[in-house]
Amino acid sequence: MKRLELLRDEIDKCVRCGTCRATCPTTKALGIETASPRGRVSLVDAYSKNEIGLTEVYLKHLKECTLCGACRSNCPNGVDTIAIFASARAEAIEKNGVPLAASLVFRNLLDTGGLMGLGLKLASKLQGLLFKDSSAGMGLLSRFSLPLVGSGRLVPPLAKTFFLDLPEVKALSGVESKSGRPKVAFYSGCGINYLMPELGSKSIDVIKKAGADAFVPQGQVCCGMPAYAMGDIKAARAMALKNLEELERADADFIATSCATCGHGLKRLMVDILSDEPELKARAEKVASKVRDISELLIHELGFKTGSSSGQKRIVTYHDPCHLGRAQGLREEPRDIIKMSGNATLKEMKNPCLCCGLGGGLMYNNYELSMDIARIKAENIKNSGAEIVATACPGCMVQLRDGLHRFGVSAQVKHVIELL
Amino acid sequence: MLSNTVKTELKRIAGEGNVSFSKEELLCYSYDATNKLHLPDAVVFPSGPEEISLILKMANSEGFPVIPRGAGTGFSGGSLPVNGGVVISFEKMKRILEIDTENLIAVVEPGVVTWDLQQSVEKLGLFYPPDPSSLKMSTIGGNIAECAGGPRAIKYGVTRDYVLGLEVVLPTGEIVNTGVRTAKGVVGYDLTRLIVGSEGTLGIVTKAILKLLPLPEVTRTMLALFDDLKDAARATAAIIKAKVVPSTLEIVDSTSLRCVEEYANVGLPKAGALLLIEVDGNVDAVKKEAEAVAGVCLDNGATDFRTARDKHEVKDLWKARRAISASLYRVKPHKINEDIVVPRSRISDLVEGLKIISEKYNVLIASFGHAGDGNIHVNVMYDRKDASEAANANDAVVEIFKLTLGLGGTISGEHGVGTAKMKYLEMELTQAAIDSMKKIKAALDPKGILNPGKIFPAAEKDPALSGALAN
Repeated sequence: MKRLELLRDEIDKCVRCGTCRATCPTTKALGIETASPRGRVSLVDAYSKNEIGLTEVYLKHLKECTLCGACRSNCPNGVDTIAIFASARAEAIEKNGVPLAASLVFRNLLDTGGLMGLGLKLASKLQGLLFKDSSAGMGLLSRFSLPLVGSGRLVPPLAKTFFLDLPEVKALSGVESKSGRPKVAFYSGCGINYLMPELGSKSIDVIKKAGADAFVPQGQVCCGMPAYAMGDIKAARAMALKNLEELERADADFIATSCATCGHGLKRLMVDILSDEPELKARAEKVASKVRDISELLIHELGFKTGSSSGQKRIVTYHDPCHLGRAQGLREEPRDIIKMSGNATLKEMKNPCLCCGLGGGLMYNNYELSMDIARIKAENIKNSGAEIVATACPGCMVQLRDGLHRFGVSAQVKHVIELL
Repeated sequence: MLSNTVKTELKRIAGEGNVSFSKEELLCYSYDATNKLHLPDAVVFPSGPEEISLILKMANSEGFPVIPRGAGTGFSGGSLPVNGGVVISFEKMKRILEIDTENLIAVVEPGVVTWDLQQSVEKLGLFYPPDPSSLKMSTIGGNIAECAGGPRAIKYGVTRDYVLGLEVVLPTGEIVNTGVRTAKGVVGYDLTRLIVGSEGTLGIVTKAILKLLPLPEVTRTMLALFDDLKDAARATAAIIKAKVVPSTLEIVDSTSLRCVEEYANVGLPKAGALLLIEVDGNVDAVKKEAEAVAGVCLDNGATDFRTARDKHEVKDLWKARRAISASLYRVKPHKINEDIVVPRSRISDLVEGLKIISEKYNVLIASFGHAGDGNIHVNVMYDRKDASEAANANDAVVEIFKLTLGLGGTISGEHGVGTAKMKYLEMELTQAAIDSMKKIKAALDPKGILNPGKIFPAAEKDPALSGALAN
């Protein structure tokens, strides 16, 4: 109970006004109090006072949260709900242990070249047996009802060759900077490495075009956000430490990522989770200060500009990833990239910063609820009339593709830099 | 405690997935915005009046309390299950059944969130004015039960002014339709008005027929700053006297201003007091009224007067305004939150009196609210751990009520009595008035099973009302 005792004041700060009911994606989807931040805080409060135990019902509701942070940003009393929910999950993991599947994944994400790499490479070869291509070409549809997958679910195909294994990327691991050009270390993260290597290559291209030297530190591992969300603080800390060392070694001017979640993981989680040791904290802060989302890097650091309009303009709407808009305060930059692309007209959807439904491990914990949220998002995208929904996070892209496919919305999903 | 027979019956009536007895889930239905916790014995999510009727009939025969609940955002404890029992949550009855653009009527289920209804009718050029600060989460059913008001009350009135008719399940289980779906109607007693504001003690609303208005062409939002709260109060009276009827005339004192700016960070200026004023209507009238308001404010000591530039600025201002109440906890961990009303011409006297009370009891009093209709949210801030401060806060509240009643006001404008104000009921109402209300309650709810322990302080001692409580 130590973790939660440290948060006693934070928990007590919730006065149960219910303002969070209006902003929470799960409250929007289910409408009931048990799926509201106020309800979850009340549950954690009761658990921390031993009024309820670590029961199935308690864990079910605790795991319904996407950790999107909308309640925290809108709480009149400034309650750090994310800290409360994440600590409660960590507390549960410490008592109950990490679920086997998650534990395997996290242990292997710690070592990109190791077991996970091998396992995933094998899976990459075998996926044709289990999945067929979707007609829309956005992903794979499961041929059978698979455990953890279910039938009719659109899952992203594993890359034939992972980003970090691409020969041209390997060649970039030790590039010396040309004089005067900023040296940018590209942090791919798991989404780009395993699922969207082409997005990684595109990122490198754009960074180079913008006048910087890009290279890819090969020893990078998962940013730790998925492990943190599940409550596996140990795994998340080990990942943070490994990345800290690798990124220090990289000695770059900037560390760029095209993943909103990784950006938040490196800017904030790495520092928070290592702050138990002052020396590590100082080092993490130094590395974190160099981290930039790709839109932030292009606009604020490299003064990126593109040429004039090229051909027909398409209607593009933008989905704010929670880890970019709310967590990093970057709302205008990705929109600027869309406007800069020259072939897009930005048209806002209703509630662009509503979570896509994937976050906080919800897609894994409660796929049905995750899709209930995706339904709201899909409807907003449809009503915007956009042909393309652009965003800035591979995780959101996976979820949006699945949601749009499921609810029959034809808009294409792209990363903002893919518009350039 | 509910018997196993009752539990089985509840599951049969509402369906397995629409009833919960687990302590974890009951905990989530044990509180409202008063932050008091009372655990119910069950929570049920009905889908229609017939289910509720069966539950109420069983409550009468088996003797357990039934407590209707919307979003649980009330400030007076109206939805608290103070004696346990079965909470009827309307979170799954939230359909807008009809928007009749020819007769300007909406028919809704009680679980509809007020904001969602407003958005839906505004798309059709219509307007549902009642706007409690909780409008983005509170429900029409809860608004009806408490007769919620809001900033627009000054021009448009409160919830009661928009309820034409209701479908109600009486405490004994009969389903009745009250009121009309026409502009007029005087057949029989006005049961609609009796139910509106009855805090869920006389019947459970299952459907509401609401009056709509045409959406005003334009709204202009303005801010006036003052060095002193008294000047702002004087300006308020002067605006009314100038025969301008703003759609909103809100006052915010310096403490509230500071707390909410800390939260919303929208660039609210530091000032002794602020007035947030809106005028709405057709373009010409709005222009004329806005000019009149500006003139009156500046004549009455406004140090600055601004007009919101765009809809984002308006949105920010309202986000801030609606968050004041909860953001006040930034200065002290606890507060007594009252919503007194005085005649509009006496706002200055009220402000003066509050200052004296604050000094006398050495407690911080933050005031804000609907100055335009005389309804001020007075928040006495304290720390429960400090026993003498807590006692002072309580004494200050009694004195505030005396002051309010002395000025010709009422102790609650829009929150209701619930549990929070019941001990003060006798300060405002005569015994004869209270007795007549109790007779109405006893006639409709002879066994006292519907939302017991609310409004009337002596309910437990009254045999006519204590049927369920004795169990």
